[in-house]
Amino acid sequence: MSHAVQFDLSEDQSAILGGLEQLIGTLNIEAPKDPVVSAYSQPLDDELTTGGFFEITQSEGFGLLDGALIVEALAKLPVSVEAAASILIAPSFLEDAGRRPVALVSGSAAAPARFLPMAKTLLVDKGDDVLRIDIPEGAVEDVETLFAYPYGRLKNPGALPAVSLGAGRVAELRRRWRMAIAVEAAGLMQSALDTVLEHVKTRQQFGRPIGSFQAVQHRLVMAAEQGQATRWLALRAAWSDSEADAAIAATYAQDATPKFCNDLHQFCGAMGLTLEFPLHHWTYRLRALLGEMGGSSGSALAAADAVWAGKVP
Amino acid sequence: MEFGWTPEQEEHRARVKTLLAKELPENWDEIAVHGPGSDAQTAFSKIFCKRLADEGLLISHWPKEYGGNDMSVWDQFIMGEELWAAGEPRGPQYMNVNWIGPVLMRYANEAQKAKYFPQIAEGSVIWCQGFSEPSAGSDLASLRTKAEKVEGGYVVNGAKVWTSYAGLATHCFLLARTSSAGKGAIVILLLDMSSPGVQVKQIPALIGEGDIHEVFFTDVFVPAENLLGEEGQAWEIITFALQNERIGIPRYAFSRRILDRAAAKLQADGRFNDPIIRDRAGRALAMCEAARLMVYRVVHQRATQAPQDAYGNLARWAIVQADHAVNDFMTEFMPEGLLGDDQMQIAHHQRAIAAGIASGAAEIQLNLAARRYLDLPGEPRRAV
Ligand SMILES: Cc1cc2nc3c(=O)[nH]c(=O)nc-3n(C[C@H](O)[C@H](O)[C@H](O)COP(=O)(O)OP(=O)(O)OC[C@H]3O[C@@H](n4cnc5c(N)ncnc54)[C@H](O)[C@@H]3O)c2cc1C
Repeated sequence: MSHAVQFDLSEDQSAILGGLEQLIGTLNIEAPKDPVVSAYSQPLDDELTTGGFFEITQSEGFGLLDGALIVEALAKLPVSVEAAASILIAPSFLEDAGRRPVALVSGSAAAPARFLPMAKTLLVDKGDDVLRIDIPEGAVEDVETLFAYPYGRLKNPGALPAVSLGAGRVAELRRRWRMAIAVEAAGLMQSALDTVLEHVKTRQQFGRPIGSFQAVQHRLVMAAEQGQATRWLALRAAWSDSEADAAIAATYAQDATPKFCNDLHQFCGAMGLTLEFPLHHWTYRLRALLGEMGGSSGSALAAADAVWAGKVP
Repeated sequence: MEFGWTPEQEEHRARVKTLLAKELPENWDEIAVHGPGSDAQTAFSKIFCKRLADEGLLISHWPKEYGGNDMSVWDQFIMGEELWAAGEPRGPQYMNVNWIGPVLMRYANEAQKAKYFPQIAEGSVIWCQGFSEPSAGSDLASLRTKAEKVEGGYVVNGAKVWTSYAGLATHCFLLARTSSAGKGAIVILLLDMSSPGVQVKQIPALIGEGDIHEVFFTDVFVPAENLLGEEGQAWEIITFALQNERIGIPRYAFSRRILDRAAAKLQADGRFNDPIIRDRAGRALAMCEAARLMVYRVVHQRATQAPQDAYGNLARWAIVQADHAVNDFMTEFMPEGLLGDDQMQIAHHQRAIAAGIASGAAEIQLNLAARRYLDLPGEPRRAV
């Protein structure tokens, strides 16, 4: 790994993202027309599998940063697909990386988890252990929620065998999970912002676009700054794979999320509260991520401990 | 895409740190508390900048033809981070090397270059920035200071305000106007502060001794040879100058340094086990690192000579957030520092409370970014 500050994509990175864009283009992915709170794209999942995108970090010459760029790009879509855990976490936690999608929970295996309805593996952060549970067909019931991911819960968690991966894996799981949260948040923020920018440029009130009001403009610039800062912090975390960088990135993203989501919905008026308007696909994923890994306080404590650790009496 | 440093850059940073460790006197905290414009820090800057010049570090990012060493944009920035984080021992002279010099390089004539560069390069002159006026703050173009054309030059009458470092300045980068006709009538005069008719008055303020001043001009004669650029060109030059000024100061580096110190202190006092304190410290830390990367993105643009967009305005907003986050954290959890216990905390506080105002109000950055970065429609009759 050479070291320099370089914000441009490498040729390989551009090529991979170009390939991904092409793949997405062939699927004609649009925001769901039906009023649904969440839409999982199995066709996209299948294509990504065929294209080897979930194995990117295992490919010669590629690593976490390249995986993160893919996760970020996928998070921009109005439909969801489980990519963050598969790309950034699964390779070092699954014996068979093909046993995906991967769901993640903290504390209890009985807790509702994103992507559990289609997951083949569940990883549980027990605090003093990481459990790996293979999910057989029919073991999960759907959970209804506004969070724009498919959520499920194990019907009978005690009945499924769990492999203990040991206390030594907890820090790594948390580091990667926080990295995944921040990377995904960066993509979600960008699409949410783009959607609202388009709205405020076209929606007219008082004879002019609502985006010409300074009160709206300033908060949109703040949102844009939060999106950009989240992006660079998240990508730096993927580049370094360091505990401090991952915790800092998640802290920033989760700390920014409430105001970011509230403001963006605010500028869309009542339209922003409908299922027809696509904004919720991104803001409700952001809100789902806000509650993971102990939320912004959990991440901030992790950041403080990672940066100033060892010195704590 | 990468986020690290080359071994050469690491070495450069280490060299600057070593130099600081060697050159900063034991009572540096006391000197630094009053800010870059104080008598004590200005006096020290004359010693320190000479040392930097001896080491070939004062203007090393300038091109060779102007006495520099063609140091890379990144190396210059690394040095800026270390110096600002240490309390800016260059005192007011950081302005000379950050933006006065680059502006002169681009717009000064040969005689002006020959006159001003050697002085800046040896670290003996203090420049001040005569832009703001009592009725022209954010709306800079409404400035009123008059430059009446006379035989051989201009006669200046008017007043400037908030002028940093004016008390000790030898030169002023002065904006005035030859008529009331808009931006086109503004001229830039390179004024010798010892000219008859210049009067400087310090303004007592929350932000430290010697920082801001009023400057009055009464029939001050400025020779025509001190006009920078052509008449009518001033607004272009000002725009270029502000680009260099706005993120020229790596404020987040000082905030991060102060936050690290705070964490160490809280640990020593047994208070860092408190999760509320660690939570809040962690959030402030995230703001500092966000500002760092936003600024790095702008530096990257400069280093790759990509055209400047409005990213600098976004980065300025991030910088203000970081300064405030660290200052608010410390004011809430370590008020004893502001009660005289910690000179560096006081120094940081005084810089942080000005972060959203000095170098252009934060709202002006938001206005500019709304237009140029988000491409939002203009508000009717909006000034900026
Ligand atoms: C520490 C310090 C050092 C300084 N040093 C110098 C110096 O060396 N030389 C120099 O020339 N100047 C200097 N300044 C002045 C600085 O450039 C001005 O303070 C700044 O441009 C704002 O102008 P103002 O203070 O007149 O505020 P105003 O222009 O009166 O604005 C006050 C507030 O109104 C709001 N506002 C104004 N316009 C708009 C708008 N269009 N949209 C939305 N909100 C708006 C903002 O919240 C702003 O903060 C310094 C200031 C400080 C604090």
